[in-house]
Parts: sequence; structure tokens; C-alpha cells
Amino acid sequence: QLVSALHNLTRHVVYRGLTRAEDILCLFPEKFHQNLKNLLTKIILENISAWRNEAQANQISLPRLVDMDWRVDIKTSSDSIARMAVPTCLLQLKIQEDAALCGNNPVVSALTVELSKETLDTMLEGLGRIRDQLSAVANK
Amino acid sequence: AADKIRLIPQDFFAELCEQIIQHLNHKIPGVNTAELCQRIQTSGVDVNIGDLAKIANTLSFLFSTAARNNLSTEELITTLGSGVSPLPKHAVQVIRHVWNEQGKAIAASEDAGNMATVGQFVDMKWKLGVAMSSDTCRSLKYPYVTVTLTVADPSGQITDKSFEMTIPQFKNFFRQFKEMASVLETV
Repeated sequence: QLVSALHNLTRHVVYRGLTRAEDILCLFPEKFHQNLKNLLTKIILENISAWRNEAQANQISLPRLVDMDWRVDIKTSSDSIARMAVPTCLLQLKIQEDAALCGNNPVVSALTVELSKETLDTMLEGLGRIRDQLSAVANK
Repeated sequence: AADKIRLIPQDFFAELCEQIIQHLNHKIPGVNTAELCQRIQTSGVDVNIGDLAKIANTLSFLFSTAARNNLSTEELITTLGSGVSPLPKHAVQVIRHVWNEQGKAIAASEDAGNMATVGQFVDMKWKLGVAMSSDTCRSLKYPYVTVTLTVADPSGQITDKSFEMTIPQFKNFFRQFKEMASVLETV
């Protein structure tokens, strides 16, 4: 019962985004033991930002990007063409499925993709637009 | 595969063959099996995407082998007929028509794009969002970027892969791509 009550209290504090001692203190009932109330509030305040970050990290989401590796190659020949010099890019993205669905065994899948110069430029253009949007939103 | 082919209505089968030939001709990056499957299902035919993928692969192999051996339409049809389980008449008709029209072109197109050992990038769609609230946090205000990559796998099937990035991750992502582009320039 005790653990459950503490759990509820901390969840409530994180949910409401309470950051001030007064707000947390007034959650306790009137006759609550004074020192215990202060101690609990102190501990909660110390941990609040870590808990909030964890709440953000564990919310429902699409699969997350966890790693990316890349390499630039030059194709010099193949069974159909004897000589050529075609630069190409190999990209490997490691994507982790929704943490909430996988519990303690997150599933990480690797997506390997080849990009030519044209497709890479398309990507860059798209990413540039995201960056512009981000700055526009940040400046508001 | 022959029994499953039986299930597919003629016009969808024709569309599938068209896409496969166009992919082999490098006119399109891949075959959009998922989209085709959904349309077939909407029309009331019960076919699952695994079966459709197998059929697409079989047809792709059939067409590319025929191209490599320079088979004429008649030779192709004869080979089909001598297989273990005969294809339904409408399927043979479609294959004959498609091969007549575009089969010769496959043999002629050779280029650097022929060696796909990994997926080929087709397209990228993105979304910038802010998570306002969740069951754990009433006031989140957490920005994130969602990206959907459309990739054609080595067999030619097109799939989508979606994932999220935090803003710092996105900045790193962008930086890496700029680096890749500059290396590609100088190489």
C-alpha cells in the first residue's frame, strides 16, 4: 500500500509538472508528519527532472533511430560493365521498435540503404527544409 | 504460386506484370506490392501481401531469366506451359501481351544500377511535431522529427520504414548527410 501510494504521488507530481516545493507540500494532508513531508518533498524535487526526462523518453512513439553508419564506395566494375567509376553511398540505420511495446527486450532492426548522388541530394533538400522549419518554430 | 495467381483478377495481374517489367527496365525503382495488395483486397479478393510478394518475385525471376536468354514470346509461353502446374489462361494471356510489348527492352538496358545488393533509397517524407501531453506528463512540449523512408529492397519490392528522432539526433543526422554529400562530391 505504501509503495503504491508513493508511486501515485510521484506520478501525480510528474504529470502535473510541479516544480516548486510549495506545490508539492500542499498535496499532503494537513495532519501529515512535518519532517517526513519536508523530506519527501526534497527527495521528489531532486528527482523530478530525471523522472520527467524518462517520461518523455518512454512515451508512445514510432520506432526510434538509435544509430547510423555510412560509407562511400566507388563501383569500379560489374558482370555487365567492365569499367566504371560510380560513387555510391551505403547507409545503415539502426532502428529500435517502440520501447513500450518491447518491455525489456527492445527489438533493433537494421535498415541498409544505397543512395546515389541524386537521391542523397533529395534527402539533403528534405532535411534542410526540416531545419528551416525548426528554426522558424524556435524563433516564435 | 500458380493457385494464388488464379485468385488475382486479370487487370490487377496485368498491372503487376507491368510494374515488374518497368522495374526490370529501370523505369521505376520498385514494385509497390503493399499498395497493390491493398487495392486488390478492397476489390474483394482475399490475397495477403506475403503471397503477392512471392508471386511478384516469381514473375520477376521469370522475366529476367527470359530476357537473359533472349526468349521470344512463343518460347516464353511454351516454357510456361511445360512447368509443373499450369497457369490460368488469363495469366498466360497477360504475360504474352506484356512480353510482346516490352520484353525485348529488358535485355537492352544494362547500367550501373544493376547490382542491387542492398535496398535502394526511393523517397523520404518528414514531419516535425511537438508532443504536447501524455499519460505520464500533462505538459510535455517535446519536439521531435518523424521520417518515413521509402526503400526498394533488392528484389524490387517497395516498403516504407518510419522512425522518430529527437532534435539533437536530427541535427546529427543532417550533419552526417552533409558530410556524405561532400565526400561524394570529392570522390
